[in-house]
Amino acid sequence: MREITYSEALREAIWQKMKEDKKVIMIGEEIGQGYAGVFGVSKGLYDEFGPKRIIDTPIAENSIMGAAIGASLLGFKPIVEIMFADFIAVCFDGVLNQAAKVRFMSNNQYSLNLVVRLPGGEGSGTGPHHSQCLESLFMAIPGLKIANPSNAYDAKGLLSSAIEMDDPVLFFEHKKLYKTKGNVPENPYKIEFGKANIAKAGKDITLVALSYMVSVALSAAEELYDKYAIDVEVIDPRTLVPLDTGTIAESVKKTSRLAVLEESYERGGIGSEIGSIICQNYMDALDCPIKKIASKNVPIPMPPSLCGEVIPDKDRVVEEIKGMF
Amino acid sequence: MKYDQTLYLEFLEKMYLIRRFENKVYEFAERGLVFGSTHLEVGEEATAVGTLLNIKKEDYLIATHRGHGQELLKGTDVRKMMAEMIGKATGVCGGRVGSMHVTDASVNNLGAQGIIGASFPISVGVGLALNLLEDKEKILISFFGDGASNQGNFYESLNMASLWQVPVFFVCVNNQYGMGTSYCKTCNIEIHKKASFFNIKSDVCDGNDVAEVYYKSKELIDYVRSKRLPAVLELKTYRTIGHSAFDKHPYRTKEEIDEWKQKDPIKRAEDILLKNGTPKDTIDAVKEKVDKIIQDAADFAVSSDYPAYSDSMVQ
Repeated sequence: MREITYSEALREAIWQKMKEDKKVIMIGEEIGQGYAGVFGVSKGLYDEFGPKRIIDTPIAENSIMGAAIGASLLGFKPIVEIMFADFIAVCFDGVLNQAAKVRFMSNNQYSLNLVVRLPGGEGSGTGPHHSQCLESLFMAIPGLKIANPSNAYDAKGLLSSAIEMDDPVLFFEHKKLYKTKGNVPENPYKIEFGKANIAKAGKDITLVALSYMVSVALSAAEELYDKYAIDVEVIDPRTLVPLDTGTIAESVKKTSRLAVLEESYERGGIGSEIGSIICQNYMDALDCPIKKIASKNVPIPMPPSLCGEVIPDKDRVVEEIKGMF
Repeated sequence: MKYDQTLYLEFLEKMYLIRRFENKVYEFAERGLVFGSTHLEVGEEATAVGTLLNIKKEDYLIATHRGHGQELLKGTDVRKMMAEMIGKATGVCGGRVGSMHVTDASVNNLGAQGIIGASFPISVGVGLALNLLEDKEKILISFFGDGASNQGNFYESLNMASLWQVPVFFVCVNNQYGMGTSYCKTCNIEIHKKASFFNIKSDVCDGNDVAEVYYKSKELIDYVRSKRLPAVLELKTYRTIGHSAFDKHPYRTKEEIDEWKQKDPIKRAEDILLKNGTPKDTIDAVKEKVDKIIQDAADFAVSSDYPAYSDSMVQ
């Protein structure tokens, strides 16, 4: 099958949906003219679809979110690009109080078909304001869906679903994934939200990992098997909301051990959430305490010497998991 | 301005409808039927009536947290409005959200704001959508208060409204106070002047003179509708009751409140009608008609059920 990058897969999903439906538009900073997307996702789209569908904005995230919410209320399907996920803080009201609540507050009279694309994670060496994984923060807000594609195939399939979904979707991408390649069919396809992918089957421990951390989990799993004969099952939830707790639970029942690997901050993180769900409902299945492997509660630093300590890497995952046996 | 009795009777009827509605909500609040607070626009009725009588059903509305009059004038059924006030399932939003957040898709009311200033960027988005649809007719009327004009969103959105040339009529109901703080303690610049910095057509008028509001709005709405450009109108008015239902307003003097009560928009409209020869019986008949509508709505609301929780609400 054809191999393309994560970035190209995202672009193909947007392109196919824009071809199919005139109500699909893009709004963001530097997405059309200028940079054509800081990570190149929207490259070429402006030339094809023009300024009325690829809408460049001033540096004004509140207006970007507001424009998308307003346009969505009138039936458009905006895809917002927030240049770096960190900048979502500038338009937090639009996300928390407006987009997330429209369906409930209007008693289903309105719902928003709205995707907010958020390039997150460390990878550009640009420090605390351009490197965070913030999905765990938003997981707590009713009314939002959250997608976290870990590879090119999922990127296209999940984004195609997100664009058609009539609820706001926070679509967390990862900077370190944009240039990674994968097999991606040319024809349109969708991946249903709330369906986890078993990235690697195993019998000794369940390791739930998200986004870029799936690749870290897979390389750690390889080393754990080769050196210590520990057979890790790696589960990629693909969407955090809705979360496929069923697949995770089935795996834990089989392996009796659970670790959760994420790049978000450890406190109040995804591991805390998944861990508590498993503890509350499947405590009997566990042979040892659940392990959270996450970024330390430190703003993401600039130099690799510090990032390596703060953000989980393969070596840390191997050590942590070894310690569970 | 030419005197028009039919129009004045309509002004009176609509303003009186809002006044009676608000009085009934206040009564409900005193009886403990309104959970939490509610923001009433007693004294400000001319701002909603004068503007919205120029707005068409197909136009869009974004209202404020003090927006019952705006929502009623856009066309929401009085019964459904009243039921929403006391959280009943028959309310316009199923009783889920109450006084501050009325949305009514059937009359293109896109929702009222509980977050001060949050409506500005959304209003720009609605204007953008109308432009993308190449709609040459519909506009958005977007209300805000004096307090909201100090939010950063206001300036960002004025810039965007001007840049993208959106057909949005922004109406500032300047009732002089953001909660208990006088506007002059929060800003040195008049609100309509702030808008003019962004090359947006803006104006100001006496918000307690319903005819002046009506004709000034008409002029600006015609401009927004035909030119597909934004405009801002500041209406100077006053809420003669507190910020919220149980506010005893210690931040204002009795003299100040009494002075504004003299400028009551309903009283002024009535005086003009009488002076121009409308019989008092005609005025009383208008009021009786409204009283009946309000009582019917109140009975409907009280006799309705509260909404039931369902797991389908979980998101």
